[in-house]
Amino acid sequence: MTNRIAHNLPAIVGLLLVMSAASAAETGDVKTGKLVYERYCMSCHGDQGNGQGEAAEYMSIKPRDYRQGTYKWRSTPSGSLPLDSDLEHTLFNGLYGTYMPTWKVLDERSRRDVIAYIKTFSPRFAAEKPQAAIVIPPDPGYSDASVARGAAVYVKYNCSQCHGAGGQGDGPSAHELKDDWGNPIVPYDLTKGHVKCGDQSTDIYRVFMAGLSGTPMPTFSDSLSSADAWDLVHFIQSLSPGYAKNFAGTVANNPSGDKK
Amino acid sequence: MRRKGSLQVFLRFAVFAVVMFVFVSPASAIPAFARKYSLRCTACHEAWPVLNDFGRAFRDNGYQLRLGRDDTVTADPGYWPVAVHITPTYLYTKTTNQLTDQGVKDIGSGGIADASIDLLMAGVLTKNISFLVVPTGFASDGNVHLESYWAYFTRVIKDSDWLNIRVGQHEIDLPASGHRTIDLTDGYLLYSYHPGVPSGSNISAYDMGENQRGVEFLGHDATDLTRYSVSVFTAHDSQGSANAWDSPSFYGHFQKYFRFKDGPVSEAEVGVFGVVANYPTQFLTSAGTPIPGSGSNLQASSRYGVEANVWIGPTVAPLHLDFVYAHGMDKKGLLLTSDGVTPADRNGTWNGGFVEAIWVPPADLLHWTLFGRYDFIRNQNQPELTAASNYNNQDQYTLGFRYTIAYSIRDEVAFHAEVSSLNVKGVGFAGLDQRTENIMLGVDFAY
Repeated sequence: MTNRIAHNLPAIVGLLLVMSAASAAETGDVKTGKLVYERYCMSCHGDQGNGQGEAAEYMSIKPRDYRQGTYKWRSTPSGSLPLDSDLEHTLFNGLYGTYMPTWKVLDERSRRDVIAYIKTFSPRFAAEKPQAAIVIPPDPGYSDASVARGAAVYVKYNCSQCHGAGGQGDGPSAHELKDDWGNPIVPYDLTKGHVKCGDQSTDIYRVFMAGLSGTPMPTFSDSLSSADAWDLVHFIQSLSPGYAKNFAGTVANNPSGDKK
Repeated sequence: MRRKGSLQVFLRFAVFAVVMFVFVSPASAIPAFARKYSLRCTACHEAWPVLNDFGRAFRDNGYQLRLGRDDTVTADPGYWPVAVHITPTYLYTKTTNQLTDQGVKDIGSGGIADASIDLLMAGVLTKNISFLVVPTGFASDGNVHLESYWAYFTRVIKDSDWLNIRVGQHEIDLPASGHRTIDLTDGYLLYSYHPGVPSGSNISAYDMGENQRGVEFLGHDATDLTRYSVSVFTAHDSQGSANAWDSPSFYGHFQKYFRFKDGPVSEAEVGVFGVVANYPTQFLTSAGTPIPGSGSNLQASSRYGVEANVWIGPTVAPLHLDFVYAHGMDKKGLLLTSDGVTPADRNGTWNGGFVEAIWVPPADLLHWTLFGRYDFIRNQNQPELTAASNYNNQDQYTLGFRYTIAYSIRDEVAFHAEVSSLNVKGVGFAGLDQRTENIMLGVDFAY
């Protein structure tokens, strides 16, 4: 018995590996995605995808209600559905400071499947297509001058009304804000050393241009020039004591690499 | 006649199982990590208590998700890092060919087994420093001991995951955890086996599956798909040893996981492992008791092996096959012959391993787990030349299922049933084989 198993083991494993390459699927499998969702996601987002899982009531930042197809973190313009790659970005990186962990250790297939399933909660995904991703011009580079200009942009667009003069999320309106579902929501503390949607400078730029749908954070794509947006990115990065460590994407363009 | 008796026993258990299934109510309390991160048990456990990829990475990263809510300052104040695990169990055991004053008998008995509990205390003290303390026991004998206690320093060198250090009494990084077995009655034979004629005469009590006192160096890549572990430790229960440095033992393990984007096989893994566990065979004594730290003339038990895991179907509801095969050798200095005085003729060598299957059917809410395992031991060189070549060869079969009645971010309660059979060649009375059979029905819950 033992010898038979040992003798056939390489053949069995080899056969399974060959079989694994036999088929290809470009899109996720909804049926499997439901199981992934039940295993990892349902406790927060709920079995109906309404953001009312058993854990939701204990959370200060409420889980996403998938039914409206409204997503904060998108590369697409405000009001548009997200791309699958946007959902993958959130799954892969998690959302810093929230209960949404990174799922990068899951296999790609599971992430693909659960994205397919999450999309079934909103009829919008069947009825419309996401718009093209916002084009992000190259980062001109972090500099003192850019930070100074960004500070002026911060004032001009009245960012301090919510985020506070020091960026700590303590502006005059901070405690009055609610999301589209009526839940209290607090502006992000920009001094934490991480940004929820991702630590790359492009992640921050994208928020200005796409907004955070479902929250009071609007899009500034109609009024904010790309040059001003990059200055604002650099100013926000300058608020963070963890800048040099966490904003690696911009450090490469910053000769000193120091926090400004 | 015997078959009829077995049928009656089986029917009684079946009725018991149905009663348990219908009337058990979910426990309601707070498992530590589930409460802390609002994740269900299923997030970390492929089938409790076997870890999945996410759970393994979480453990390797020092119980941190690294999104700013891990340590005692940033976690919600309600988090209290304690959980309790217990399994009230009905256990029936029968062993054949046992010598009694009334002759050679098969002895069987059953009833609600004496249960103990695990107090699982674990968490993050501060960024990249975590801990685990597990007092266990609390059974009717009144004994409590620390099964595990360690501090774990992650990312010791800058932000690299390639060097993490665990200090304390820890489980070495085995191919399949001896403390998180899917079955609840029988351990992996490979981990605890020692050759000897007669069986049990080996001085070494080293058990790979037991926690060992020492230091572990562990590293892995960003997604935990390539990983290593090296432990330096004092072999469990070795008399005359005091710490990991005066009678050092060594364990090493390397694993590489492979993922497949499409096809029936979603993931595979291969690995190698090896251990040299040194036992002192001479030591100074005080009133006949070995003085800790005075041991000398170290004799080794060594095991070297390979492993392969295959996950068929989606990793979220897989058929998981685990193959482990190892060669073992115990130095003859650890062994005496039948008279208990004469040294053994030669080193004892053997081969062993197991094939384990765990299936989580792809049904709604993943309530079911079915599992089975075949363990084997085949002696190669008996330490005593006159011993039969197959003496103490062992075959063990385990089959069972687990139905999770309820799981939440607070608790888990499951009905667990399994049967097992262990056959050992030649160790019964007059050289007969000895067979031990278990039937176990339990309610396993953690909160």
